[in-house]
Formats: sequence, structure tokens, C-alpha cells
Amino acid sequence: MEVLKRAFDFSDFPRTDLCVAGTVALFLLVFPLLPHSSFAMATMIQFLMFSVYGMGWNTIGGYGGQVDLGKAQYVGIGAYTTAVMMIRWQVPFWVSLPIGMALAVGWSFILGYPLFRLRGHYFAIATIAVSLVLKDLFEAWSFVGAARGLKIPLRADMPSFLYLQFREDYYYYYVILGFFFVGLFYINWFRQSRIGYQLRCIKDNEEVAKSLGIDAHWAKIKAYAVATAFVAAVGSFHACYNFNIEPEDTMSLDLSVLIALMAMLGGAGSLWGPIIGAAVLVPMKNYLGAWFGAKAGLVGIDLIIYSAIIMGIAAFEPRGIWGLITRLRESRRS
Amino acid sequence: MALLDVKHLGMRFGGLQANVNISFQMERGEMVGLIGPNGAGKSTLFNCLAGVYNPTEGRILFKDRDVTGSRPYEMARIGLARTFQVYVATGDLNVIENIMVGGFMRTRSPRAAREKADSLVEKMNLAGLVQERVANLPVAAQKRVTMATALATDPDLLLLDEVAAGLNPSEIDQMIDVIRWVHHDLKVTVLLIEHVMELVMKLSHRVLVLESGRLIAEGEPAAVSRNPEVIKAYLGERYAAE
Repeated sequence: MEVLKRAFDFSDFPRTDLCVAGTVALFLLVFPLLPHSSFAMATMIQFLMFSVYGMGWNTIGGYGGQVDLGKAQYVGIGAYTTAVMMIRWQVPFWVSLPIGMALAVGWSFILGYPLFRLRGHYFAIATIAVSLVLKDLFEAWSFVGAARGLKIPLRADMPSFLYLQFREDYYYYYVILGFFFVGLFYINWFRQSRIGYQLRCIKDNEEVAKSLGIDAHWAKIKAYAVATAFVAAVGSFHACYNFNIEPEDTMSLDLSVLIALMAMLGGAGSLWGPIIGAAVLVPMKNYLGAWFGAKAGLVGIDLIIYSAIIMGIAAFEPRGIWGLITRLRESRRS
Repeated sequence: MALLDVKHLGMRFGGLQANVNISFQMERGEMVGLIGPNGAGKSTLFNCLAGVYNPTEGRILFKDRDVTGSRPYEMARIGLARTFQVYVATGDLNVIENIMVGGFMRTRSPRAAREKADSLVEKMNLAGLVQERVANLPVAAQKRVTMATALATDPDLLLLDEVAAGLNPSEIDQMIDVIRWVHHDLKVTVLLIEHVMELVMKLSHRVLVLESGRLIAEGEPAAVSRNPEVIKAYLGERYAAE
């Protein structure tokens, strides 16, 4: 009971934050009723997906301070579990979702044990490497369609909530919006829980953390598993939403970097950060990408922009946009 | 039964023997000072006790359990807490959150951890500073934060690592009061590792003196300070004769 109460307890935020958050939540709820283009709808769905990715990444990367650049492999595990089970055994989405999450979490425990022997940049590099290796394996593995990937066939009984197949995008929108709110309340509990405090202490100073009875290695593995569960869940959703999945789009380095980048841009280690980051970057990615791609044929320009953002965060405000806001507030108060 | 029983402890780093055959005991409720000149091996011994180093020789018994080679977090859970000389907390935890992390060792409930932290804040003169970042505090307050954080784990034995270093005389007096309160009211056994003689001599029931990695003297503060070996170690050969 106390756990549930804490998940809905936002009382430590100032009132302005809560007003803004409430307005945004209301907007998200009614968005499909407002006039919008299908491109805008697709962008909103992507925004929600990346928000949830970012919330997950934020547990280990933000609160725990371990920069993980290999989250895409777990997106892939979630997506492939759902796709394979649906295609081969007609398993509904809502059944394969927890199985995909469990498989991803299991894999994260196996990887986390050796990975967290490493620190800092070495950890980040190792996460990239293992994620890419798994992608290469999937590209060669014919059971999962190898490099061509898998295509989930449309069902005769479509639309089907059980199999997450809809004709209109706004059904998908509300499903992922549900994920979004569940994730948000979970993270709100997480940040106030014992593991949340312990991770922040590990980020501050691991020696101090250990002297306070914290098994830092195990705490990181646990947070890594939580992050994994988040991205695997969205991965499963991604499989149904896109029908088509292939290693290149579910497990690529681009995706790993984007997940980390959005959370860091918005503000790693804060509740709103990943949402802000996704709200800025997803529309930018889609609209700029479309505009540049069509008008000027400048295909790789988005990568240049991402790099510039990474450098900007590193140089000016490691806590991202939310850090800027906090700093402005503090300076105004004093 | 002794709370802490160190038996023939030795620690070697490659060719350097930092601790040689150190044996001593501490009873529950004692306050013991560990002194010695720079490079005597105090910090090494401290780190062996806290589980940071795994001693190359000898055994450490704590609460009648062999804890030799335990990791720092295991030592903490068994009831041995430590402070840090320089409390490096550059991140985003503020004072009260730091102390709560200590409290979380014995409870899952944020409310219980908060209550624990609140009760310590009061006693450790940190009440006005709870929302501050540790890095922004003066040294004396940082030392109190690291003590409060360690105490929040409900230890049986507290290792204090140079808590008086860098403090001015009036701050040292305050620190003495705080340590007395910890020892007397919280009933925590204390091992002081210290350069500042005034504090050690005022507080300790018993003093251990390390020199070149060896335990060269042990006894009441007054007796130890008259011990010619100790005077020699601190002041050099010339003064020992006088």
C-alpha cells in the first residue's frame, strides 16, 4: 500500500512543475481528438516510445550514473520475442510482452555481471560492443529471419486488441500512452525508494556507498535489469506497431545512442528529463530529417546535430535541459 | 568477549610491509585512539579493518566472527561503520539524503530512513543544512555529515578517520562533544584514528601507537605520552633522552 501511495506522491515538486505536468498529461490524453496529420500522430507515438525508453535508461544511466550505450539489444529481444511468438505460435501480444521482458532481463543479468566490473568509459564501450555482437548474431540467425527480419502477417480478425493489430493509429497511441503512465509512476516510486537512493549514492561516490552497506555491483545489476524491462516492453510494442522488424532498426547503435541521448539532453537523473528530451529530439529528428532528406538530400545531417548536442551537454550542462531549468530557478531564488 | 579482535595482522604491498604483526583487542563500549606519525601504517590498518584491503597475514574477528577478507559492504552490514577523511560527494545528494542512504542499510522504508536521518541531524548540529549539497559545506560540517551518515547504519563499532584534521580549535572542541555523545548516548564503540593529539588524549580510554607498521605502545593516554619509544617516534632520537 505504501508503495502504491509513493508512486503517486509528487509532493516534493514545486507547484509550477505539477501544473505543467498536468497540462501536458491532459494534452496527451486528448491529442487524438484534436485535428492532426498522420505524420504528427506517428511522431507522437514515437515521442511516447522514446520517453519510455528514456525513463528506463534513466534508472541506470541517470540515477546510477552508468552510461549505458547498448540498450538497443534489449529493444530487439523484446521485439523479436513478440514477433517470433506471434508468427510461429499465434501467441497474443499481452502474453509475449512479459515473456520478452523476462528474456531480456535474464540476458541483462548474464551481461550485467561482467559488464559492471568495468567503470566509466570502459563500461560504455563494452555495452556498445555486446549490443552490436547480438545484432550481428541476429543478422545471421535464420530462425529469426536473419538480416531480412520478420514480418508479422495481418490477422483475419483485425482489429484485435489481443494481438495489437489496429487499422487506426490512435489505438496504438493509447496503448503506448498507457505504457508511458505506468512507466512514469513506476519511476516516481523508484526515485524515492531505497534502490533509488543507493544508486544516487553510488553515482556520487562508490567507496562511500560500499561503506554504507551497499553492494554496488549488485545494485547496478538490478537497476540495469529495470532499465532493460522498460526498453524490452517498448520493443514488443514496436514489433506490433511496425509489423516489420529487422536487426538494423531494432538493435542498431543509432537506437542505443538515441535512447541515451534523449535522456541526457532532457536531464539524466531527473523524473521529467527523459520526457523533455524525447519531446525535443523526436519531433526534431522527424521533421528535420524529412525536410533535409527531401529538400536538400542531406541525409546524414541528423547525426551531425546529435554530435553537436552531445558536445553541448558535456561542455555546458551535464544535467541537460532540466539542469538548466534548475540552475535558473536557483539563481532567481538567491 | 572482545568486540574486535585483531590477530597478528600484516599487510604487504609488493615489497612494502605496511603493517607488521599487529594484535590488539577492543571491548564493547571502549573508546580507543590509534596514533602514529605519517606513514606509520594507520590508514592501511584502517582500510584492513573496513574491508577495503584484504590483509596478507593474520585474522580479524568482529563479534566473534572471522571477518578477514570481507568486503566493505559486508563489514558495514555486520556493524562496522567508517567515516571518510575527505568526504567526496560531488553529485546531487544533499545532506539529509546522504544520511538517509545510511539509514537505508537497515530498512526498506523511506519513511523509516528519513526518521533515522532526522534524529541524527538534530544531534549533529546539521539542522539548518539539510538541503545543502555536501560539497558546498565547510569542512567541519562535512565531517559531521560523514559521521552522521555512518551512524545512520546503526553500527556497533565506528571507525573515525581523522575527523579533526583541518578543524580550528573551537571546531575541535565541538567535535569532541559530538564524539562523546556518539559514544555515551548512542553506545557506539569508537576507534579514533587521528593526528590531532588534543582530541585523542581527551577522548581515548586507551591509545595504540603505530610506528613503521608496528604497534610500539599501548596503554592509557598519559602513560603512552611519557613512553620514550613514542616520544622517539614522534620527535626523534634527540628528545627521547630528555
